[in-house]
Amino acid sequence: MRARHLPDDRPHDGRNVDPELGALLGEGSHQRVKDLAPSPAAPRSDEVPSLAYEADRGRSYYGLPLLKEPVWRWYVPAYFYVGGVAGAAAALGAAAQLAGWRGSPGPVRQRHPGVEHRLIGRCRLIATAGAGASAVLLIADLGRPARFLDMLRVFRPTSPMNMGTWFLSAFGACCAASTLPHLWPARRPWQRTVSDAAAFGAGVMGLPLCTYTGVLIANTAVPIWHGTRNALPVLFGASGAAGAASLLELWPPGGTGDDVVHRFSLLGKTLELALGEVFAYEARRVPRVARPLRRGASGALWRTAQVLSAAGLAATALSRRGSPLRRTAGLLGTLGALTLRFAILQAGRASARDPLATSEQQRAGRGGAAELTERDRAGASHPALRGVGAGRETEAAPREEHP
Amino acid sequence: MGFFTDTTLCIGCKACEVACKQWNQLPDDGFLFTGMSYDNTGQLGASTWRHVAFVERTTRLPGQGTPRDGTEAGTMAFAPLRPAGQPGTTSLLADFVAPSHIESPVPLGPTQRALSNFSWLMMSDVCKHCERAGCLEACPTGSIVRTEFGSVYVQPDVCNGCGYCVSACPFGVIARREDDGRAWKCTLCYDRLKDGMVPACAKACPTASIQFGELGELRARGAKRVEQLLARGVAEARLYGESALAQPGTEGLHAFFLLCDEPEAYNLPPDPVVPTKHITRAWYAMAASVVGLAALCLGAVAGARRT
Ligand code: SF4
Ligand code: SF4
Repeated sequence: MRARHLPDDRPHDGRNVDPELGALLGEGSHQRVKDLAPSPAAPRSDEVPSLAYEADRGRSYYGLPLLKEPVWRWYVPAYFYVGGVAGAAAALGAAAQLAGWRGSPGPVRQRHPGVEHRLIGRCRLIATAGAGASAVLLIADLGRPARFLDMLRVFRPTSPMNMGTWFLSAFGACCAASTLPHLWPARRPWQRTVSDAAAFGAGVMGLPLCTYTGVLIANTAVPIWHGTRNALPVLFGASGAAGAASLLELWPPGGTGDDVVHRFSLLGKTLELALGEVFAYEARRVPRVARPLRRGASGALWRTAQVLSAAGLAATALSRRGSPLRRTAGLLGTLGALTLRFAILQAGRASARDPLATSEQQRAGRGGAAELTERDRAGASHPALRGVGAGRETEAAPREEHP
Repeated sequence: MGFFTDTTLCIGCKACEVACKQWNQLPDDGFLFTGMSYDNTGQLGASTWRHVAFVERTTRLPGQGTPRDGTEAGTMAFAPLRPAGQPGTTSLLADFVAPSHIESPVPLGPTQRALSNFSWLMMSDVCKHCERAGCLEACPTGSIVRTEFGSVYVQPDVCNGCGYCVSACPFGVIARREDDGRAWKCTLCYDRLKDGMVPACAKACPTASIQFGELGELRARGAKRVEQLLARGVAEARLYGESALAQPGTEGLHAFFLLCDEPEAYNLPPDPVVPTKHITRAWYAMAASVVGLAALCLGAVAGARRT
């Protein structure tokens, strides 16, 4: 594999370019040469299809994936959870602040140690800690963390990831501004004003921070994510609320705050469950696309998330203030919201690996350009898509599931 | 500028793969064998910017044959299809080779019967340099730009390795390399174009299957070639992604293909769309969600205060 004619003391390069004879200036010369590890267990010859596509396997190229799998590791679903919880907590804190805006909103703990303020304070703390953790997780997931700031080079509404970086930056700045004045030794009224205004800003920024991640993954070619773009942002919003409520149940603020959390939790968890169903329904419109929700690791995660969330909701509904059941509800809800994110990421992976998910979705007139064409068919008519129209008659019926 | 890849002319020699690797000094992929057909590359990737697909089928492709069967006549058949700015193909068959019909001296029996119902399609796949590119629109750093040649170019010094483009490409082209965490793909040989040369793959293609030139000219050639094939009985011949009308999802490809089967056979999506084309719906859903979440928070607070 390596140039045999090179003497052994010279640095070997997998490009077979002798750096003393040829300059490494090509476009790909930035790529470091992989350490050529022995090949991973190659598929056995009887596992490899002998023909590019066989009738019973569906039309694909040797069953190879058509799309590239999402490269994100566990940091990203963890970020989806942390960011969602932080955003929803900030929003709840701002709402509580708004309700008692006149007269009462003081810096947490010191001036007015009222119960609402404990709720507001916890919300602010969760938001600030979440903003910090989000940034760490996001940076950790980049292959080259040193370049995180490049995300703020542009402002691009077609890239939810770019918009999200802006949301997160604004949210983080607001959270910091709402918490920092409390760490200041001498307290002045202006600090309180700054802190309250900033917490308000954090609440406003928390709403998109909590929900944009749904747009982020819906704006990909991954069939199950792209196909559920109506449900995903709403599901993430509800799940963020359920997650934040669960955390507050684990760490109850007491007094009226507990009531607020209880209501918030009941509503958030109910919505989370209901929207999970909507999400699964939207995916099921093309059976092949919803397959990852039923099979394999992603299916197991998805069912676990559903069970945990349902149990969390039941526990919340049955629990009384301060009872251990309420903490259990918080724990179940937290695990449920966390598992949900992992299930959705895993389902996306499985869905991208399956070439038939993409082609069947597009043949069914969804998740492709045909959907747009159909929408404005009333206007200037595009000619029928050759690739799509041709296969309609034979492909329109949902394909039988293959074992 | 762009590519027109006429898959009916591809002989699966992989000269394009090698030329691309060599010119761009891409490292190897580890020399793995997939075990299927002659395709040991599998798919496009961060260090594979051209990939030759070998589609083996138990179908007969009408009109398929060798010059000996009288269906092609040496380089004459390709003469009008020479890559722009190149003297000609480097086929060993000279123009004067006349089509002839040679039958095997002895009947081949079952082999012949089996082979009569068998065909190979080959296609040299590459980044499509979409007119509206999913990777470009998704990139949060502005690392992916459109060059003066209309191609889509990733600036390696700006890319921060977020991997968003990887999931945003409807063709599964661009990939992130684990070792440096950046996204890489075909550059349409930007450095060669700058110097007035054709891309390495097109230069190396011995059969003019990969043709490089002005898009308008290439489209005309493609249309002509399809006509030629249809007249010869290859009813499946079709262009893939040649214009915005043919592929509204990407508004046309700067690297389009002549195919002899449905796109899925070649691992191409039948109806690709830039995910961003559907993004407004998702933003609306998010706006609804933002309002809903705000109402949820306010409702929880207001409801509790009355108790
Ligand atoms: S979206 Fe994919 S095919 Fe299109 S230009 Fe980007 S990498 Fe190439
Ligand atoms: S991996 Fe690089 S090129 Fe791809 S979207 Fe992220 S910053 Fe842009």
